[in-house]
Amino acid sequence: MTRALRFGLVAIAVAALITFPYWSAGWESSRFATTVLRDVLVFAIFALSLDLLIGRAGMPSLGHAAFFGAGAYAAGIASQRLGTDQLPITMGAAILVATALALIIGALVVRSEGIFFLMLTLALAQIVFAIAFQWTSVTGGSNGLSGVGRPVIGGLDLTAADRMYVLVAVVFIAVALLLSRIVGSPYGRALVGVRENERRMRALGYDTTRLRLSAFVLAGAIAGVAGALSAYSLRFVSAQDVGIATSVRGFVMVLIGGAGSLFGPVLGAAVVMYIERVLSSAIPVAETVLGLVFVAFVLLARQGIVGVGLAAWARVRR
Amino acid sequence: MGEGAALIEIRDLVRTFGGVRALDGVSIAVAAGERRAVIGPNGAGKTTLINVITGEIPPTAGVVRIAGEDVTMLRPWQRARKGLARMYQRNELFPPLAARDNVALALAVKAGPYRPLERVPSTQPRAADALLERVGLAGREGIPARELSHGERRQLELAVALAQAPRVLLLDEPTAGMSPAETARITELIASLDRGLTMLIVEHDMDVVFRLADRIAVLHEGRVIADGPAADVRGDVRVNEVYLGKAVATA
Repeated sequence: MTRALRFGLVAIAVAALITFPYWSAGWESSRFATTVLRDVLVFAIFALSLDLLIGRAGMPSLGHAAFFGAGAYAAGIASQRLGTDQLPITMGAAILVATALALIIGALVVRSEGIFFLMLTLALAQIVFAIAFQWTSVTGGSNGLSGVGRPVIGGLDLTAADRMYVLVAVVFIAVALLLSRIVGSPYGRALVGVRENERRMRALGYDTTRLRLSAFVLAGAIAGVAGALSAYSLRFVSAQDVGIATSVRGFVMVLIGGAGSLFGPVLGAAVVMYIERVLSSAIPVAETVLGLVFVAFVLLARQGIVGVGLAAWARVRR
Repeated sequence: MGEGAALIEIRDLVRTFGGVRALDGVSIAVAAGERRAVIGPNGAGKTTLINVITGEIPPTAGVVRIAGEDVTMLRPWQRARKGLARMYQRNELFPPLAARDNVALALAVKAGPYRPLERVPSTQPRAADALLERVGLAGREGIPARELSHGERRQLELAVALAQAPRVLLLDEPTAGMSPAETARITELIASLDRGLTMLIVEHDMDVVFRLADRIAVLHEGRVIADGPAADVRGDVRVNEVYLGKAVATA
């Protein structure tokens, strides 16, 4: 496939994704599909950010929801307390708070590895959850934060469902492009080096602690963006956004789709959201199905859907 | 001792593990361009010495200097930036990455890793391939490190260290686990490296030591019991007693 052809196909796919609410308008279920796809993309951003840690840097975080939730609360609280829905302000608040929190938690966890890293991230995220749950005057506690405003950019109001969708789709594309760029950069290569052999990386002259911390903070900031988009989309922030269920959901998305590939986490987000949102109304045991699917992938296909697909493709070509 | 000229100098180094003094007041100075071997029986503290020089193990007491600068408090990655490269006794590579990409990671460190939006320089693969050819791995550039033979992985280990363009190369048993043919090959390879490159070699195989080293320090129970030109150490009676054994003494 030539470069031009590939670029053309990607451009068409991107355009189709962004304009989905318009060309699907004739469908009976267009509104529902747009909502589901919007939420898939929000979680795809979240899963992509988590995969930078799991799939690239080899840092399996079970507390990534802390940054998603921090972004969601920051955007929601900024919108309510500052009385403005200007996107740069509320989104800026989300990124700022998520980044700061990732710096604090990151500084505490980046020196640990494997199962210890997993448990530490989980424990610290639970502390964040406890704060969100109990600091009722700021976060709304167990009631959550309702009535979050949809964003505006200058005079452009994004309240309408189709516009909200377009915002999410555009941010998703931007994040995907950014991450694909990062993965191929000297920085992305260095993260893989840290994952594969941190000792050798140190002996080569890499400050591996700083590399791991920077990846953790970068992933946290992007998760904060996803959180803000979730708050705008649902007009609501729940303590669950910071909770373990959200962390696990991101983890499952990455593993089902395939860690270490940009397409995998996106596919994983789609599969999980489809089971949760579409299948759950058709069959009563959808959550169980999700659990079984996850177990099946952990036992039989560690590389996720993308890994299985690549292996099958390699076999066909041979 | 001529400290001013020493590229690597360790002074009164002590390292204890529990009650064991692995290094018990070791002082060695390696001049620029010198090829120095450190020999000694198992448990003499040789690998500990290398690990203390690179900073992977902090010393209990003593000083490590690189080109006169005290680096005792610096971390391993900072010492690497001062020109220290190392070949591990047990290969420390990036198993799933191609041989070329293993070397490329070492090449990339100079420009710094914090360039998330830049592309990898297009000259990098060629530079990596040139180094692989230098160590005899031409034609194996695209093979993942884990699929290389043990001997090839040792060669790759050397290429990775050379890619750092070091001032000092620390070789921890470069021929460990190799067949006689592989040993001969890597020994000649190391011997053929730039004479300006300072080396500190820890090695068991005495043929390798005498082929490579200008000077030899003998470590025994954490102390230096002899240190001098290779020929002198070979004739040293005490060295023969503790280490080289009768075979060499009568040779």
